[in-house]
Amino acid sequence: MLEVGGLEKRFGRRTALAGVTFDVRPGEVFGFVGSNGAGKTTTMRIVLGVLAADAGEVRWQGRPVDADVRRRIGYMPEERGLYPKMRVGEQLTYLARLHGVPAAEAERAVRSWTERLGVAERLRDEVQKLSLGNQQRVQLAAALVHAPELLVLDEPFSGLDPTAVEVMSAVLRGKADEGVPVIFSSHQLDLVERLCDRVGIIAAGRMVAVGTVEELRSGGVERIDVVGPESDWAAGLAGVTVVAREGRRTRVELSGSSDQEVLAAALAAGPVHEFAPYRPPLTELYRDVVSGGAA
Amino acid sequence: MNGLSPGQAVGLVARREFGTQVRSRSFAVGIVISLVIFGIYALIFQFVGSRTSSDTMGVTPAAQPLVPALEQAASAAGRTLTIHEVNAAEGAAQVRAGDLDAVLDRAPGWTLTGLDAVGTELQNLVSTVVRQTTQDEALRAAGQDPAAVAAQGTVAVATLEPDDPERGQRLGLAIVTSVLLFMSLIGYGSAVAQGVVEEKSSRVVELLLSTIRPVHLLTGKVLGLGAVGLFQLLILGAIGVVVGSATGLLSAPSAAAPALAAAVVWYLLGFFLYASVYAAAGSMVSRQEELQSLVAPIMFPLLMPFVFAVSVLPGDPRNTLATVLSFVPFFAPTLMPARQALGVAAWWEVLIAVALTLAAIVGVVAVAARIYRNSVLRTGARVGWAEALRG
Repeated sequence: MLEVGGLEKRFGRRTALAGVTFDVRPGEVFGFVGSNGAGKTTTMRIVLGVLAADAGEVRWQGRPVDADVRRRIGYMPEERGLYPKMRVGEQLTYLARLHGVPAAEAERAVRSWTERLGVAERLRDEVQKLSLGNQQRVQLAAALVHAPELLVLDEPFSGLDPTAVEVMSAVLRGKADEGVPVIFSSHQLDLVERLCDRVGIIAAGRMVAVGTVEELRSGGVERIDVVGPESDWAAGLAGVTVVAREGRRTRVELSGSSDQEVLAAALAAGPVHEFAPYRPPLTELYRDVVSGGAA
Repeated sequence: MNGLSPGQAVGLVARREFGTQVRSRSFAVGIVISLVIFGIYALIFQFVGSRTSSDTMGVTPAAQPLVPALEQAASAAGRTLTIHEVNAAEGAAQVRAGDLDAVLDRAPGWTLTGLDAVGTELQNLVSTVVRQTTQDEALRAAGQDPAAVAAQGTVAVATLEPDDPERGQRLGLAIVTSVLLFMSLIGYGSAVAQGVVEEKSSRVVELLLSTIRPVHLLTGKVLGLGAVGLFQLLILGAIGVVVGSATGLLSAPSAAAPALAAAVVWYLLGFFLYASVYAAAGSMVSRQEELQSLVAPIMFPLLMPFVFAVSVLPGDPRNTLATVLSFVPFFAPTLMPARQALGVAAWWEVLIAVALTLAAIVGVVAVAARIYRNSVLRTGARVGWAEALRG
């Protein structure tokens, strides 16, 4: 398990992190979301030891992260980085060896990962000759060739075509199923919702919400979607606010009233075809949490 | 599993640098360019040498009596002097046409006329002969024996150090050694800086530093590129010795071996000193274009001893300033080997210079490693000195 506790970091007068705490469990895909400059990259860099925290600590399996642990992390930096003039195969083998993998094993891993990611036929080409999408696949391979025990990926999906997004998703899910904790940041909230077991929302250097999407929903107000009478049946009900109304669909927000009262009121006005709690997508939760944090 | 000792980390980095550099086109091109430069120098020396030792001069009937003395003086100086008899007008025309270097006339004062200028050596030869002849005539008129007077006025030249028959070759070796060291240090020093910037600008450095420590990356890079430079130096040295021996330019390989050995030792010392500075400079900028202005001042301490070694030492091997500078760490790597090749540096002098340079390396490497560690992950604007040196 990766535990991040109370990370603080200042750059000059600017506070980048003001107490970031969360953990990522084995077999879990953890989505890290937040606006630009919220502190995602800084947090990941501190986990990798590329940056030093002013306060707080990062623990892996109960012990502080040291150089030996970092070598077993698979990392994809936000700023993609590979030697442009080095061949794909040589480069991946070199990076695997820098992570302590013996030569023969490194070559095997490079072959299998490049095949899985669909860049095997480019092994002898220089990285700069590859398309950006393929460079990104090589970058992911670089994070995987040393059979990492933990994956930390900064914006792994940015700039990928739909096919590559599927390949990347399958790989992350597969690693998590092997028991490797996976943490990645993204602005594609639908993707995060679909792929992640848990989500952390960071705003202005603070973790404002951590949990499963379901848990994040439970914190908010109760809303109900009703498909039924076209009339303005909900207006005037005590403890009920109409959030949206379009044709026969009405969305209400409850404050003090119960769902059964709402159902009774709707049935009194006409037949009801659908009656279900509204499950806001992550996008909406995110907006609420972030604006709430700012207020 | 997945253990990686510091030695292995440094080794992996160094091997990558060596492999990448040696296979690159610039390595082969560098060797070819060096050989071409040395070839051109050799040709120029040969050409200049053959040019200055032969002159063609016209002599008018009035100056005719001087011809035997002129021929005698020319052959004594080891110069070829061809003399044509001409009248003043013909002479001027032939000088203008380029057939004659100058015309000597007496009407009644002596005049030596050339086209744009008269070669210094020809000028000296003619004025010496004219002065001598005039003085001899005057002495004879006064009843003196010119030969006796000349004998009294002769200075015998001797040296305290035994005359070194290989002095010319040593001089050549000193110059070649200096040029080689200068080129290697500049070339591979800037290769280190460029390598550091390449890793920064391509951002691969963040990936590397998530698995190995900055000091290991820096050490591996310096060792790897240093080995490439050494490899190139040895190739050039070997070609030089073989070609030199084959063409007879180098008749004393015994003098070349210690010079080459000294060059290797000084290359290594100089490289670690300069490469650390270059690496620190490289880590402070984010783009290759910004590098030039930062590394330009590093060239100065390399260039100055180089100029000394090539222009001052040959005429004045014991020049005081050169001697003093040859002990100063940043100047020693190109000056001391030149003095060694000339045979004017005692063994204890070399040891002191080596010790001082080693001490400087320890200090410079520590500062450079700190700058590198503080700056290598910083992108964007150039990192300021205060920030680079912090911590």
